[in-house]
Amino acid sequence: MRIDFELNGTPASIDCEPEKPLLWVLREDLGLTGAKYGCGIAQCGCCTVHLEGDAVRSCVTPAQRIKGKRVTTIEGLSPDGIHPVQRAWLAEQVAQCGYCQPGQIMAAACLLAQKPKPTDKDIADAMTGNLCRCGTYQRIRRAIHRAADQTNERSRA
Amino acid sequence: MKTQPQTRRWFLKTSAAIGGGLLLSHEPGAAQPTSQDFELNAWLRIGTDDSITLISSQSEMGQGAMTTLPAILAEELGTDWSRVRIEFSPVADAYRNPRINWQFTGNSESTTGFFELLRMMGASGRTMLEQAAAERWGVALAECKADVGYVIHAPTSRSLRFGELAEAASRLKAPEKPTLRDPSQWRLLGKSLPRFEMKDKIRGKAIFGMDFAIPGMVYAAVRHAPVFGAKVTAWDKASISGLPGVIEVVGVPNGVAVVAEQYWQASQALRKLTVRFDQPDQSLSSEALLQDYRAALSGDKWKAVLSEGKALDEKGIQQASENTFSQEYESQFLAHATMEPMNCTAHFTGDACEVWGPLQGPELTRLVIAGALQIQPQKVTVNRTLLGGGFGRRLLADLPLEAALVSKAVGRPVKVIWTREEDVTQDVYRPATLQRITAALDSEGVPTAIAHKLVSPTILQFVYGSAVTEDNDPSCLEGLLETHYRLPSQRVDFHLLKTKVPTSVLRTTGYGPNIFAMESFIDELAHKAGKDPYEYRRKLLRDDRAIRVLDSVADRANWKRRPPRGVFRGLAFTEAFRTHIAHVVELSAVSGIVKIHRITCVIDCGMALDPDICRNSIEGGAMWGLGCAFKSAIHFSDGRTVESNFHDYKILTLEEAPPVDVHIVNSGIKELGGTGEVGPVTLIPAVTNALFAATGTRYRSLPLSRYGLRLA
Repeated sequence: MRIDFELNGTPASIDCEPEKPLLWVLREDLGLTGAKYGCGIAQCGCCTVHLEGDAVRSCVTPAQRIKGKRVTTIEGLSPDGIHPVQRAWLAEQVAQCGYCQPGQIMAAACLLAQKPKPTDKDIADAMTGNLCRCGTYQRIRRAIHRAADQTNERSRA
Repeated sequence: MKTQPQTRRWFLKTSAAIGGGLLLSHEPGAAQPTSQDFELNAWLRIGTDDSITLISSQSEMGQGAMTTLPAILAEELGTDWSRVRIEFSPVADAYRNPRINWQFTGNSESTTGFFELLRMMGASGRTMLEQAAAERWGVALAECKADVGYVIHAPTSRSLRFGELAEAASRLKAPEKPTLRDPSQWRLLGKSLPRFEMKDKIRGKAIFGMDFAIPGMVYAAVRHAPVFGAKVTAWDKASISGLPGVIEVVGVPNGVAVVAEQYWQASQALRKLTVRFDQPDQSLSSEALLQDYRAALSGDKWKAVLSEGKALDEKGIQQASENTFSQEYESQFLAHATMEPMNCTAHFTGDACEVWGPLQGPELTRLVIAGALQIQPQKVTVNRTLLGGGFGRRLLADLPLEAALVSKAVGRPVKVIWTREEDVTQDVYRPATLQRITAALDSEGVPTAIAHKLVSPTILQFVYGSAVTEDNDPSCLEGLLETHYRLPSQRVDFHLLKTKVPTSVLRTTGYGPNIFAMESFIDELAHKAGKDPYEYRRKLLRDDRAIRVLDSVADRANWKRRPPRGVFRGLAFTEAFRTHIAHVVELSAVSGIVKIHRITCVIDCGMALDPDICRNSIEGGAMWGLGCAFKSAIHFSDGRTVESNFHDYKILTLEEAPPVDVHIVNSGIKELGGTGEVGPVTLIPAVTNALFAATGTRYRSLPLSRYGLRLA
């Protein structure tokens, strides 16, 4: 099945089985390996990408669902890597092994787009499905607050 | 294993270092193609363009080794950190952990094992550069000083770039005893550096084993016999004929692999493949295992592994003392569940094999592949990617072996990927333990004798079998053979339990279960004596360093001030992996729902070479510990593992994650301690001790979910 969609701001087209998960379309057909395979059943969040701006688990998103839609991956979140969330992740030195972090960053970016000034409760609600085996949760929480502060300062300025 | 005289180690050079591993730089594309590299020793290469390539013997799995270890070299060399490139070493004698003469990443030894060696190697390289400059200028060596990428001759205000000196320096003999920089001059060590690979990790550009690719590579999806000890007896290739991309079906140890052009194709075809397994005994279950543990604990097959003072055993204590106390503690089976599922890439080419993957055990990998494929060990090239978590699982060579066997069968480079389900059900688990501690107490409730009985399956058999005997495994005993408490009579008896469950190294190894038991028991003794758990421990502790850590955690957690109403505290202390550590946990417990308010932790690891990396590790260790304490457990039924993915093998979530305050005491650099594994060790008993304070109930068996307790 031919599927036309928008990938990281650019028109893209793939030919694959309609039920092939978006995760493997990205990793195998399009060579974008930022989204990670972690569980395959939407239980860990390593594969999180944006579909029409919403954080989705690409491991359970069939390719046919992206037809005509906007898909953003960690590679396209900010091509130069200076999205406020990424900057905050650098400042807080969040990652240890780093395998879950593209998914964490995509989930956090979606949260901040929807709630520019999230509370701890908002962060818990939005991020609790993104597992981190190294246990960097405290830094993730701090980095999200930091990104929120910086974004809000810029918009006030 | 071959032994290598330690004193000669740092003269070794290895041309194999060039091209042996993946290269990472601060900014990709910085290297000039016309530059030529010169090797000063096995750990340092300097390019004519002034690029500095530092070799990391240790795998990077989140513990920060690829930042801190090269920083030791760079510190001594006197280089500009921003120009550094880092390459993982190949398998070679030069890169063995000097402590046990074996190349691996684990046991919290990346810094503790290599610190002295890397200082010498960096200093040696610096001296060679200074000598090359001295010879070129015809001045005294003592007048030449290397600093941030230059050798400077201050009396004549001359300088030469490292790149200009590299070739000449590489021809010089390494100095016998290079002078180390005084720690007071350190610019990198003792400071918190940004992790070398952090930018790649936050951009999705970091290359884990899962992301590594080479031209012509195909993929294998694998299914193993679910029952322990079972084998695949047959499969029907016709059941997947004509499916897209499928190349071949290949038998592997205990399983079958479908090879296809893409992984998705391979995994889909594998689901449709008809596979038959033999039907061995399926009586293994958690209940049956527990009976085995109980039988061992009440049996008489023991090995005395520690006898100090009168060394009274359980019976001796009962006979010698009126006032005795005895309790049993149980820790559960655990899975590694590294965030990156198991995978490896291999290319077998007749008489040689090259491997790329997220590996903690490159030397074991080489030996296993050479043995299985009947090729020379030096014909096995092992390259490491970044690791999406290790925790001991990736010390084993099973994935590299599978990839090599499949590559041999199809004649192409192959990446084997396990599903999360294979990862959880086919793991080599952290063994459960059952232990009983018995104490004789004086009139003040202070122990005069302790007897400890431990039942545990092996930890080291699969990764370091030469250390394991018929009835002993040193890793199982960690934390029991040395204590900071004053105990006039000590006795430890061990029963190495044989089970069908494959067990191996997992973060905290023997320390985890043993310190859970010991620190719970000490807390029980304090309560029995009517003493404050902090004061009780403090009186028992023998040395100042331990007391300072205990005092420090009590101070930072306001131990002496009563917590708010409804909030309760628990404490635990130990030394593990050469680091002193103490935790105070503050929690409330209402109707089985436990809210952790705050965790305070103090460590003394001698000197934190990178404080923020240490802190991150200890913070994460607390989260790991909370998951182990409350949620994670592996069960067995019908001869196989019950749990299969994160829906039933549960780990801590962000929602449940409390704030952690980590304080580092730097007591001196004489004896560095590791910080990768120690974090969960005292956290777990601090939690159960706090739960006792809150509820009056002792929780002696993990995980706490079995009592209906859960985190808010």
